[in-house]
Amino acid sequence: MSVFVSKNNIKKNMGKNKNIQDKVNSTLNVLDALQTPQVSPFFKDKTMQRMFQNKEEEQEVWSWFTPKIQLATLVCVVVLNIVAFAKMKSSSYDENINDFAETYGLTISTENTFLN
Amino acid sequence: MEEQDFIEDLKAGKQYAYGKLIDDYQQKVFATCISFVPNKEDAEDLAQEVFVEVYHSINKFKGNSKLSTWIYKIATNKCLGFIRKKNTKKRFAFLQSIMGNDIPVDKTKYFTEINHPGILLENKEKSEILFKAINQLPETQRVVFTLSKVEGLGNQEICEITGKSLSSVESLMFRAKKNLQNILQNFYKNES
Repeated sequence: MSVFVSKNNIKKNMGKNKNIQDKVNSTLNVLDALQTPQVSPFFKDKTMQRMFQNKEEEQEVWSWFTPKIQLATLVCVVVLNIVAFAKMKSSSYDENINDFAETYGLTISTENTFLN
Repeated sequence: MEEQDFIEDLKAGKQYAYGKLIDDYQQKVFATCISFVPNKEDAEDLAQEVFVEVYHSINKFKGNSKLSTWIYKIATNKCLGFIRKKNTKKRFAFLQSIMGNDIPVDKTKYFTEINHPGILLENKEKSEILFKAINQLPETQRVVFTLSKVEGLGNQEICEITGKSLSSVESLMFRAKKNLQNILQNFYKNES
């Protein structure tokens, strides 16, 4: 009797598994029936607008900064740097500091201190 | 026109070249995007982003691969980025639901409620189950499976897009199929 029941169970389980496998196969077969969708008719226009809109904006912002002006700016910066460097080398730093301190009365005189 | 000349025109930013590029590739790029992201509006947005990216990065294209492969690569990366973002939002939404904050329900159901115009109505339910299962695959397996089975590309082209060898693409494909079978079997077992 028990052998008969277990055989029945096995048969039932096999049927169930087959059913599940059929469902899995039919789900995977959905991909074969998948149709290639068409892109919307305004896709090209929208994409072109998006692409070149950014470019125009970028161009408008930096349009005044032409290569000639760029070169002139670069030359100015280089000349200013050279002049500043030459000036720094020609005058001594301590001398300048002392001059500055004397002009604004920032020197500390040790003679007038009460602590001595 | 030779592809090299065409690429030079693209690099020079010529508008007609980009018009031709979109004419030639819009359908392919859109099809790739919609196979990863089964929602028409999002897939179109992504396809647009792909062309904008091509426009900005064309100077980085060295010509080591075909232009189409390079564009497919950009499309795949864009889609994966989008999916990652969606999944992060989903996880965040889950955390928020634990914390007791209300979240918009549609964001958590993104990959179960698909809007793919190529799916026949009678297959809609099965497609939703399938796309949900594909989304559960590890990223590399998902990419290879989608490019092969949904997009219909050959293994060689998938190798070039993913930068993997032929044997690893085949192995990923085998594992993806096996995992999908398991996921779907578990799903139907729990259902019955």
